[in-house]
Amino acid sequence: MKPVAVTGIGVVAPLGNDPATFFAALLEARSGVRRLQSRYPQRLAARVGAPVDFDAARHFPAPKARMLDRVSQLALVAAAQAIEQSRGARAALDARRAGVFVGTGMGGSETTDDGYHTLYAEGSDRVKPFSVLMAMTNAPAAWIALDHGLQGPSLTFSTACSSSAVAIGEAARRIAAGEVDVMVAGGAEAPLTFGTLKAWEALRTLAAEDPVDPARSCKPFAKDRSGLVLGEGAAMLVLEDLDRARGRNAPILAQIAGYGLTTDTSHITRPSVEGQARAMRFALEDAGLGPDAIGYINAHGTGTPANDPVETAAIKDVFGPRAALTPVSSTKSMHGHLLGAAGALELVVAILAARARVLPPTAHLDAPDPECDLDYVPNRARRVDAVGAVMSSSFAFGGTNAVLVARVT
Amino acid sequence: MSTAERLRALLARDFDLAPAALQAEATLESLEIDSLRMIEILFCVEDEFKIAVPAEHAELKSRLKTFGDLAAYIDTLVAGKPRDPA
Repeated sequence: MKPVAVTGIGVVAPLGNDPATFFAALLEARSGVRRLQSRYPQRLAARVGAPVDFDAARHFPAPKARMLDRVSQLALVAAAQAIEQSRGARAALDARRAGVFVGTGMGGSETTDDGYHTLYAEGSDRVKPFSVLMAMTNAPAAWIALDHGLQGPSLTFSTACSSSAVAIGEAARRIAAGEVDVMVAGGAEAPLTFGTLKAWEALRTLAAEDPVDPARSCKPFAKDRSGLVLGEGAAMLVLEDLDRARGRNAPILAQIAGYGLTTDTSHITRPSVEGQARAMRFALEDAGLGPDAIGYINAHGTGTPANDPVETAAIKDVFGPRAALTPVSSTKSMHGHLLGAAGALELVVAILAARARVLPPTAHLDAPDPECDLDYVPNRARRVDAVGAVMSSSFAFGGTNAVLVARVT
Repeated sequence: MSTAERLRALLARDFDLAPAALQAEATLESLEIDSLRMIEILFCVEDEFKIAVPAEHAELKSRLKTFGDLAAYIDTLVAGKPRDPA
């Protein structure tokens, strides 16, 4: 793929509502996981999640806020940050050659949850008038396009946990192909509602609350890991044709160099070493890079019993002898699993790590699983001389594996 | 409080509209109340005045042009009168 410039980054996430604050917290190995305030908290087996500290009233007038599900609010704030940082990506832009690709798994789940609560729990027929507009899965992308006047392609990708990695990869492809000049691409998710938490709980994928410290509940690659912890948030990037970005002296934060996309067809949830490895290989080939060029992998690393050994085996399969020498971390240990927003947020982490030359750790990794024997940067951030290119992996229920490779110039 | 006063207070509180602009002859268009916003306003009006606004889009659109029209329409519904054929 012809490389594509990243000229803006926006983050609204557990641990920080801008990229710098968020990344600094990761380097301190702080956890955004905590006990949740929820409807019927006593009915949740595991009450932990990673919420965003977010006050919609600070960002939107009340009538507008009421039209936006939380997922769209988070998406809009992250997109505005990214566009602001891109310093005029919109200047002299043909708005018909700019668009928005957003990944989200659950869409406006708070609106859906509230609507059902009104109907079924309260026995009322007074469902909010904008419920359809708020809950529709394409609302975050639609609002970003509307607020910023981006009239080119606007698409929503929903491939569960790889949604936003797909959104970014597909957006980069459109720019590389010359179809568009600028894309806002990323992901948003706001799944911390009672109904969504119960659904994930029923699937037996959620981590048990750590009996000593709820913040330590998510333990990727550890022997005592028990599952994932859901998080919420949004991460958005401004992607831009590299020549255009250079021509206007834009801040080029990174380049999207490669994108690999595969589908497991063996099982609806069980990950496959072969499928994950193939996605990593495709991303490297797309970038024209060998495994030795990758200085850091931000793993999918959910902390579920199934994912972590399979992902470890896939990395070994692709990286061969380089696997043991390549630092890999799962920052989900701290910000939780943002589902459809995870790929975008974690690509941002990888880019910021390459820029700062500091690798964020895998937190809560005291007792490694013998089947997980790579260098996971346990518990403490690590300063390095150079990072070079970085890889971010996202693997999904439904089998869509998406891997992105970025490099910092 | 009159219906107009209650409606004015509601629109000022929940819809960020300036009370001074909410005069009987002020058109909904001038108040930037489009058909989508009107749906939400009617939802709130139903709660505030304990009435049910019939869902007849075209008719509402043709009879509700100004703030005063809306207040008068609420009055007819509150009074339980059959709707004014005019």
